[in-house]
Amino acid sequence: MKSRRRSLVPYFLIAPALLYLAAFFAYPMFQGLLLAVYDDEATLPLLDGPTVDGAEVGRLSQGSGITISDRQGNRLADADVVDNDEFATGLLTEQWFQVSGEGIEGDEVSGWMPESRLRVRDEAADGTVLGGTIRPRLGQSGDPSTALRAEPNESAAEIGRIGERVAVTVDETAVLEVWFQVVDAETGLEGWAPSRFVEVFSDDETGRIDRGTAGEFTTKFIRKMVDDRKFSSAWRTTLMLIGMILPLQFVLAMAMALVIDARLRFGSGFLYVFALPMGMSDLAVGILFFSIFSGNGLLNSFLEAIGVIDAQKLFLTADTQGWILFAIVLAELWRATSIVMVILVSGLQAIPRETLEAAELFGASYWQRVRHIVLPLLKPSIQVALILRTILAFQVFAVVIALSGGDVVTVLANETFRQYFSLRNNNVASAYAVFILLLSIASAVFYLRAVRAQEEVRPS
Amino acid sequence: MAEIRIESVTKAFGDKVAVDDVSLTVHDREFLVLLGPSGCGKTTLLRTIAGLGMADSGRISIGGRDVTYLPPGERQLSMVFQSYAIFPHMTVRDNIGFGLKMHGEDEAAIARSVDEAAELLHIEELLERRPADMSGGQRQRVAVARALAMKAEVVLMDEPLSNLDALLRLEMRAELKRLLADIGATTVYVTHDQIEALSMGDRVAVMRDGKVQQIDEPNVVYDSPANRFVGSFIGNPPMNFIDATIDLAADGSARALVGEHEIVAGAALSDHVTAAATDRLVVGVRAENMHVTVEHSEGALPATVQVVEPLGSQNLLTVLVGDSRLKVSTHPTFPAKPDQELWLRFPPEQLRWIDPATERVIYG
Amino acid sequence: MSTPAKSSAKSPRETSSGTSRETAVLPPLDDPSVVAEHRRMKRRANRGRSFTYVAAIAIALWIIIPIFFVFSMAFTTEETVRSYPKNFLPFVPFSTETMRFFLGSEGVLKGLLNSVLVALITLVLSTIIAVPAGYAISRYVFPGRELFRISVLAVRAFPIVVLSIPLAVLFIRTGLFDSIWSLSLMHTALALPTTILVVSSVFASVPYELEEAGQVFGATPVQSFRHIVVPLVLPGIAASGLFTFVLSWNEVFAASVLTLDNRTLPALVLTSLANASPAFQFAGGFFLMVPSIIFTFFIRKYLFNMWGQVSK
Repeated sequence: MKSRRRSLVPYFLIAPALLYLAAFFAYPMFQGLLLAVYDDEATLPLLDGPTVDGAEVGRLSQGSGITISDRQGNRLADADVVDNDEFATGLLTEQWFQVSGEGIEGDEVSGWMPESRLRVRDEAADGTVLGGTIRPRLGQSGDPSTALRAEPNESAAEIGRIGERVAVTVDETAVLEVWFQVVDAETGLEGWAPSRFVEVFSDDETGRIDRGTAGEFTTKFIRKMVDDRKFSSAWRTTLMLIGMILPLQFVLAMAMALVIDARLRFGSGFLYVFALPMGMSDLAVGILFFSIFSGNGLLNSFLEAIGVIDAQKLFLTADTQGWILFAIVLAELWRATSIVMVILVSGLQAIPRETLEAAELFGASYWQRVRHIVLPLLKPSIQVALILRTILAFQVFAVVIALSGGDVVTVLANETFRQYFSLRNNNVASAYAVFILLLSIASAVFYLRAVRAQEEVRPS
Repeated sequence: MAEIRIESVTKAFGDKVAVDDVSLTVHDREFLVLLGPSGCGKTTLLRTIAGLGMADSGRISIGGRDVTYLPPGERQLSMVFQSYAIFPHMTVRDNIGFGLKMHGEDEAAIARSVDEAAELLHIEELLERRPADMSGGQRQRVAVARALAMKAEVVLMDEPLSNLDALLRLEMRAELKRLLADIGATTVYVTHDQIEALSMGDRVAVMRDGKVQQIDEPNVVYDSPANRFVGSFIGNPPMNFIDATIDLAADGSARALVGEHEIVAGAALSDHVTAAATDRLVVGVRAENMHVTVEHSEGALPATVQVVEPLGSQNLLTVLVGDSRLKVSTHPTFPAKPDQELWLRFPPEQLRWIDPATERVIYG
Repeated sequence: MSTPAKSSAKSPRETSSGTSRETAVLPPLDDPSVVAEHRRMKRRANRGRSFTYVAAIAIALWIIIPIFFVFSMAFTTEETVRSYPKNFLPFVPFSTETMRFFLGSEGVLKGLLNSVLVALITLVLSTIIAVPAGYAISRYVFPGRELFRISVLAVRAFPIVVLSIPLAVLFIRTGLFDSIWSLSLMHTALALPTTILVVSSVFASVPYELEEAGQVFGATPVQSFRHIVVPLVLPGIAASGLFTFVLSWNEVFAASVLTLDNRTLPALVLTSLANASPAFQFAGGFFLMVPSIIFTFFIRKYLFNMWGQVSK
């Protein structure tokens, strides 16, 4: 090994990996932690007028009940109008047109008016309004003409009037976001807020603050997670599955490792077969075991063929949670035992052959050798394998989805996925993820301890 | 009584025959050394005795009990391994007592035997320690103590000293010999080190290519090798070999010629030459068994010194006789320098005559 | 022990040979009793081994039968796939109908292509980044080396689920969401720690003395790396590349979270599992498994090297 003193070369070599892990591991990890405890939409500042540059008069927290006392449009910058799902949620808009045509005085006038006053008669292929006629004010007394204003805004100065049914051309279109003047139902605080942050109820009068623009630390996502009706069943099931799978897995892996270590004829063939499930995704294995346990699957066919049952038995229904759990345990045993085996075989290969021969020569039977020599010497490998498996077991979810639809039986990782995917709740999903992380860290501490233990035991 | 009888044992690994139809008997309480170069089958033979690899055919019996296919644990023998094979996770005490524990001895008896064995090897103070932080010599003692604690009548040793440094090896050699003689176990000891073999064994079995070449007491194996291989393998320097032509006179007496020069041969040589039906033989002679003189003497061969190696107790000369290169040992005061002419005389009683076809020693 | 063999072992010669202190004399080696006894004891000695074979075959069947079942269902008619009870004859009737149905389903071909692309990008990215880092760990002693190694190890222990959601949010903000590139970036982050450790163990298996020897005989450090180290490590690097490919191919959580229209195959299969026909499931399962079966075949030599090292 090179040991050039104070060389910068190794640092250059590891720099890309470090930077990459910082950007795509450490940073998102930090963001993930933040998402779980930080609500970046917690409060909404209210402004003294319906414009973005208005002065803040106070803040309402997300979910506050309000009544709407006034509303007004406010022209949006073109950049804001692009398709942006997040932005558009709850957005109320109205269009204003800048039209030109013959005014009531017979002169040519030009100015802004709301879309409600124009009957569109002429559109371009892409939907841009090109022209139309002024709508008549039906059944209304008073001035039938329509005011044209200097700006696309009700409060702007009137610069002319135009009569009904007059044909006009549209020169420009403006999109206005509706702003609400809201009054907090509890404190009576009054101020203006853009419609996209306000949820209006069907009476058109009351509503609530949908989301805010300023963040604050909160435990509400964690509380929401803990209060979720699936939370307790999710962590219980996760721990129960780990508790059931790991011991069985260890026994099976030990058997496989001993078989491989016995150096049979076709040993490498057996090794290949034993290692096959190692590279398989939990989704593939979920499908595999679904095909076995499903109503017209392999198990039913087999049971019927040997005459144990005479009709299909349904294993994977809401009433047969026990069978679903059993299928999950089998699937995980099938899939993840190989990696434990490989770790154990590496450990076995590190035990000198003569050590085992000595034990045999001094009268130890096979089982005595396993118990007195192999297991104690494998302890570090066993520790590593068990803890690695524990960490990975927290992340299993595709098997659960495949076998239970992710509903009947659920685990923590599956809840994370459901919160994100179905419920679109990033924060609660992150809270779940952080919970998994905490459980994993607890295991990882053991993991690293086990590394040290292993290095100590290995003779120099 | 623990006589080990090996009858026609053969053991192959795939195509390679490691032990080829070997028969030998290790007498009760005897110290037999299996000696040979690596790959000669000595370790395989030891392992078939131990049961760590079963013989393909033949029979191994210990004390009249057929153990050929018994598992090692049931053969009532113990063993010291080359790597010592100490259990790293157990204390020295547990290591030494392991065999007794496996055989179901009660705790008190185990403790007593462990203490005795530890005392024999002077490792009482190590008993509660773990092997990880012990020196090679200490581990070696633990391994021997573990083997002795079993009080088995047969002790097998697989190159037990090969992992020690030279000084420690010398010390342990004597100590092991004394210990094994004291407890009177039948011992089979594998080594590739001829000095170890000659100094320790009651008898030495020299092996090559899976076959026993010669089995006899150390001095016999050294002095009267059964064949060219044994002569060349044993001794440092190895035995010298010189090609000789045989001139069978009309009266039936044989003369041996090395180049132009005649070596006086014993009277019985002619019978052996006749039996071997050959006129070419190889003369084997040990370095210390030639007479070297600076002046010519009767029946001496001329030799040219090539290399002089002073070894302290002797000077080792490499000399050229005709085409043959010989090693000759002289007294350290003997004056010799490279390119010097010397005269060598071969005492007939020290010569071993080898048939080049069979490589067997036919006479001498 | 069978009594006849034992009683015959006490031949008359033994009794006549005198005192009990004398070693018992066994019958000659070719005596039928000895032959029979040896045969019996050989069998007894091999009993454990036979048991091991039985265990090996049983475990092998437990692993192979489910795979075999899915493969056989993936290459038969849709009718057979739906039928009940299933016949146990493999690939009967053999048909590509299931496969054609699957490949003809909406999004499948695109998903396959996406999966391949993502896996390839991940493979290239992680290899480019991991090889220098692995080389540094295995060849240099430098302050911070252990810290780096331990951090990489620790990173392996962090759950994917924690990463996926903030990354999704990040990618949405930067407009990278729902692209094969964003997913590849994520998969590279997942694969990197393992790849670094495996690559470092591959380099560690090539003694540095070889490189030095090259330099002694006049090669520059780069030349000796190129001509001596590269050929020796290439198979190991290839194995780790295969590992990366399969990791990416299998990954389903991040793939489902980070994509919407550009689903990879696992994400597509997962999100359409609920209303998928059996044919779709079997053929999907087949495609998900094939790379790992090939992968395991090629890396079987490196298995213990890789995972032995990684699990340290």
